Amino acid sequence: MSAPAKPRYRIVIVGGGIVGLFTSYHLAKAGAGPILVLERGFLSSGASGRNGGGVRQQWETRATIRLAREAVQEYRRFGREFGYNPWFRQGGYLFLAETRTEIARLHSVHETVRSEGLPSRELAPEEVREIAPAISPEGIVGGTFLDSDGTLYPFPVLWAVYEKARSLGVEVALGVEALGIVRDRGRVAGVATPSGTIGADVVVNAAGGWSAELSRRAGLPVENTPTRHEILATEPVKPCLDPMVIRLSDGLYVSQTMRGELVGGRSMPHAPGTEGGMSTSPEFLPSMARSLVRLIPRAASLGVLRAWSGYYDDTPDGLPVIGEDPRLPGFVHANGFGGHGFMLAPASTRRVAKAALGEAIDLDPGAFGPARFLDPDRRAVPEHLQPG
Amino acid sequence: MPDGGERSVRWKGRPLDVRPGESLARALARARRPLLTRSIRYHRPRAPACGIGHCTSCLVRVEGRPNVRACRYEPENGERIETENGWPSTGFDLLALVDPIFPGGIDTLHGFRRPAFATPLFQRVVRRLAGFGALADGAPPDPTLAPELRTTDLLVIGGGRSARAFVEALGPRTPPPLLLERGRLDRPIPGAEVRERTTAVFLPRPASGGASFAVLAIEEGGGALQITARAVVVAVGGYDATLWFAGSDRPGVYPADGAEALGPSAGEPPFRRAVVVGGGDRVAALLGAWADRIEAVVGPGPVGPEVAKRASEAGVPIYPRTLLLEARGRRRVAAVRLAARGGGRRFTVACDAVVLAHRRLPNPQLLFQAGAAMEWRGGTGAYYPRLGPGLATTVPGLFAIGEAAGFEGAASTESGRALAAALTGATVPPLPDRVRAEGPSELAGYYAELVGSLPRRAKTIACACEDVLLRELAECHELGYRGIEVAKRYTGLGTGLYQGRYCVPEAILLLSAWEGRPPPEVGFITQRPPVVPAPLGALAGLARPEAE
Repeated sequence: MSAPAKPRYRIVIVGGGIVGLFTSYHLAKAGAGPILVLERGFLSSGASGRNGGGVRQQWETRATIRLAREAVQEYRRFGREFGYNPWFRQGGYLFLAETRTEIARLHSVHETVRSEGLPSRELAPEEVREIAPAISPEGIVGGTFLDSDGTLYPFPVLWAVYEKARSLGVEVALGVEALGIVRDRGRVAGVATPSGTIGADVVVNAAGGWSAELSRRAGLPVENTPTRHEILATEPVKPCLDPMVIRLSDGLYVSQTMRGELVGGRSMPHAPGTEGGMSTSPEFLPSMARSLVRLIPRAASLGVLRAWSGYYDDTPDGLPVIGEDPRLPGFVHANGFGGHGFMLAPASTRRVAKAALGEAIDLDPGAFGPARFLDPDRRAVPEHLQPG
Repeated sequence: MPDGGERSVRWKGRPLDVRPGESLARALARARRPLLTRSIRYHRPRAPACGIGHCTSCLVRVEGRPNVRACRYEPENGERIETENGWPSTGFDLLALVDPIFPGGIDTLHGFRRPAFATPLFQRVVRRLAGFGALADGAPPDPTLAPELRTTDLLVIGGGRSARAFVEALGPRTPPPLLLERGRLDRPIPGAEVRERTTAVFLPRPASGGASFAVLAIEEGGGALQITARAVVVAVGGYDATLWFAGSDRPGVYPADGAEALGPSAGEPPFRRAVVVGGGDRVAALLGAWADRIEAVVGPGPVGPEVAKRASEAGVPIYPRTLLLEARGRRRVAAVRLAARGGGRRFTVACDAVVLAHRRLPNPQLLFQAGAAMEWRGGTGAYYPRLGPGLATTVPGLFAIGEAAGFEGAASTESGRALAAALTGATVPPLPDRVRAEGPSELAGYYAELVGSLPRRAKTIACACEDVLLRELAECHELGYRGIEVAKRYTGLGTGLYQGRYCVPEAILLLSAWEGRPPPEVGFITQRPPVVPAPLGALAGLARPEAE
């Protein structure tokens, strides 16, 4: 527990994950003090400390591709700017198709990605083997590959941004939960915490899987839904898998970390909500093990070291929510990242910071703004390519 | 061809005889061909240490299968067994140069950031240093392994003395309880159906409850059982803790378990002259068995009267309240560097082994995993289950006895009998004494003092699986990060193959001293299932949970 030092701040960010911390960093750099980040757990206790570290630019929607492309550039520079090495390894993302329908879907993604200037490739089964020889060729009819996608190690990124933000004057209060949003004359006036109210002109909702709950506490119904996702890590082995591999049929994703562990998950039929805890469901270990040994049969003898879960913050159209809520001036959304918050963070939080300062942002408000859920005519083109 | 169960295997291409019931590590010790492996980050030499399948210092490759623990593995006739992480050989490993080149350690958190064009090269080098063995050479035609399905009223996990006392006091039952033992029993336990060399893992239970427990049992020989049990008795015992000092990962440093399990034969230790650490019953027993091979007794704290008496009878010098600073040597320990606590003079004792017998810890993993409420006990500085009447944990149907539940020595046997009485409806005897709950653990202060006295040149490895340095833990603290959960994520401590079994208990004590708060506030690391490595093939073969 670390209590906030001041009774009031210009900006209070709820959520000390990568989105909240990176936003605070951009704000502090822009000279927008004083800034407070409220984290109800410990650093890395939420999804930022529980994700697989994938960073990809292959998406269906152009808006997301552009954001991701910028994030990749940022992560390439990150080590030199922030003092910590994120070990961003550009081993590529390999999408696997097992049916004609899946091939067609990947083809359409490929066309869009290429038209944005990224050299994605369509692969025949033999080429899949060249890129990932450990994978069983059985059932694979093709795939796509983008070699500048990759994986990073989330923790150093988190420490780096935390330390940089603090060195710029950002205060981070750990173990402090935001119980509600205080309004005054129709706009945000502060945040209620167990130890009293903290005044604020602007509140940023970067609470990840708990963002919908926070919005509701602010009196704002939203369409975000938390969903539980599970992941496991095997014992470490010598390098055997260069790219992140995604299989469309079961939503399997797996990559090998710098430390040699195979880390991945798959889609599971979990009911929405944050009630499932942070542990492992009875279904996950067997389902995931079946998926993984089908992909890499030689991994059958490998031990699973640990499995855990975390919460995605999903939206109906698969796109994040970035911008001030038109229903409550001063309440800024930075949520709904659907499991892709970490990979997009360096780019997306630049826009969150601008929105928090009331400046115009260079994102399509139709695709990312909260108003799209308030007016049926303004619905966005959805992003369906979710796994990984 | 050997007969009578003798087997011959190919060890690094040369024949090696293995006796019935003998582990590969013991067979190698008997043949005077000590097993040397290499650690993953610094390629430091490692040799079998814990002897009970908990650490990562004896991993070998068996018939193309990686990461097999030599201390637990009883080879089949004709098997081809190789070392891992050693090229061209573990004795002369080119990558072993990594260790001396980086005396202060490789800073993977902050280092290797410039120049930009070298990033892919750095990544290739660091990836090459990670991992133990390579992926298996091949896969069976069907890589999923369908476990044998079993249902039992009563499952006993562990076959030590509390479990034996429990089964004996329970009397004959039809069907008998199923008992799983990780190693081998020293003698049969009549009245139970025993599966030896079998490790149990609790599988997550459906949220809607159900009265039974789901357990995956992995057999050393490659098979598996999927067990549904109405009641489970956890009697998984304890183990000897490690102690941090420079070179504490060096071959020749053994937790006392390892000194017992790794000699050339049962009863013969794996050393000529050892320095023994500790001052309690465990050290007294070692003095009873091996006094002529003990060079000195070093107590991190005070030394008990029984140890003092036996040592004096055998002419073994005693150094109570002494810091163990460093184990020196090249391939193996050749001497230890000591200093009396409170800034005393430094001196050296020659020896070829260090035996750590100062602290027994419980195996709490299964209890955490089953969701039992746990409580800190200062006597040993570890977590134990909260126990109600009749040795019941807070999870209905889950019971804990023996060392894992905090009953040591004779109390361990008594706890087994008491549970049998409780389950059969007999009069329950009063519970025997448990490990002291209150009070600080002496080691916290010991470590706080040690850190300032450690030699600067030599590495102090805090987590031997991941080669995390004590210095890295100190940096994490100095940067203001607090609590064991963050320290784990910052340094990687406790995330390796043995999941923090040796390093986390030490780290909790040291952080408690540094952070100036009691150990329970430093926290504990969530035991994420399956806790002990469960092969993907066995997990893939699990029968699906019944539909809700």
